[in-house]
Amino acid sequence: MKISRRPLAANVPSMAMGDIAFNLLIFFVILAKATDDSHLQWDPAETTEVTRAGAAKVSIVIDAESKYYLNGQQVGIAQLAPQIEQILLNSTGDDRRVLLKVHRNATANHFEPIIEAVSEAGGTIMHVLEEKRN
Amino acid sequence: MKVRRKCKLLVEPPSSATGDIAFNLIVFFLVCASIQPDSGRPQEIPRSEENQEQTEEVENIEIALTGNLNAISLNGDTVRTSELRSRLTKLLKSKTRPQDKIVIVKSKIDTPYHHWVDVTTEIEQSGGQITIQREEQQTIQVQ
Repeated sequence: MKISRRPLAANVPSMAMGDIAFNLLIFFVILAKATDDSHLQWDPAETTEVTRAGAAKVSIVIDAESKYYLNGQQVGIAQLAPQIEQILLNSTGDDRRVLLKVHRNATANHFEPIIEAVSEAGGTIMHVLEEKRN
Repeated sequence: MKVRRKCKLLVEPPSSATGDIAFNLIVFFLVCASIQPDSGRPQEIPRSEENQEQTEEVENIEIALTGNLNAISLNGDTVRTSELRSRLTKLLKSKTRPQDKIVIVKSKIDTPYHHWVDVTTEIEQSGGQITIQREEQQTIQVQ
């Protein structure tokens, strides 16, 4: 006696497609948005009026221990100016914006060389600050 | 002829998916909470340029900062930080040329950043253009 085989359909469950797409979307959003300096410890200074900083190619952090970070990587003060110049080489307009995240108690001997370096590289400084709450 | 009603099926969401849904919701709200846009204050500081042909004498306002948060030096006079804006506005009122509106900010090494931000905000709001002057470091060899 001949037994006929039942064809088995191997379909990918379409139910999970939405979940997979959503997870991928979140994954890429995190990759694109999360800057590498989010783990650094620094308290922003306060000011009365603030505007949205927006995105920038260069982000410099002076943390609570007065260490320098360029786009999340620790650097020495001597390497900072040439590296900023290198990054801003073909940038124009708003692309020349440099985010400056300085710990509120950092002293002038630490933050002034940075301001000078950015100014010399032709960058536009954006001090990242917090709005004063009365 | 009697038409039979279709039997109604009880539609329940599959309980096996609730874990996935909860996880996705947690991730979604975590991402929303962690991505906060930065805010701050833009500042333009002119490049230092050595101009050989400069013949005109320009008398700029000088502000010196120290670790003392309550007082600053304005053209050599000690003034309270709270009085800075009114004093600066008065001084800058008489200056018409942009190069005269440049305010030189000198900071001692112990000047904290939050104090520097407060003072430079006052200068900009008074109509001044900030430039920084750093103490020059020199190595002197004593024989």
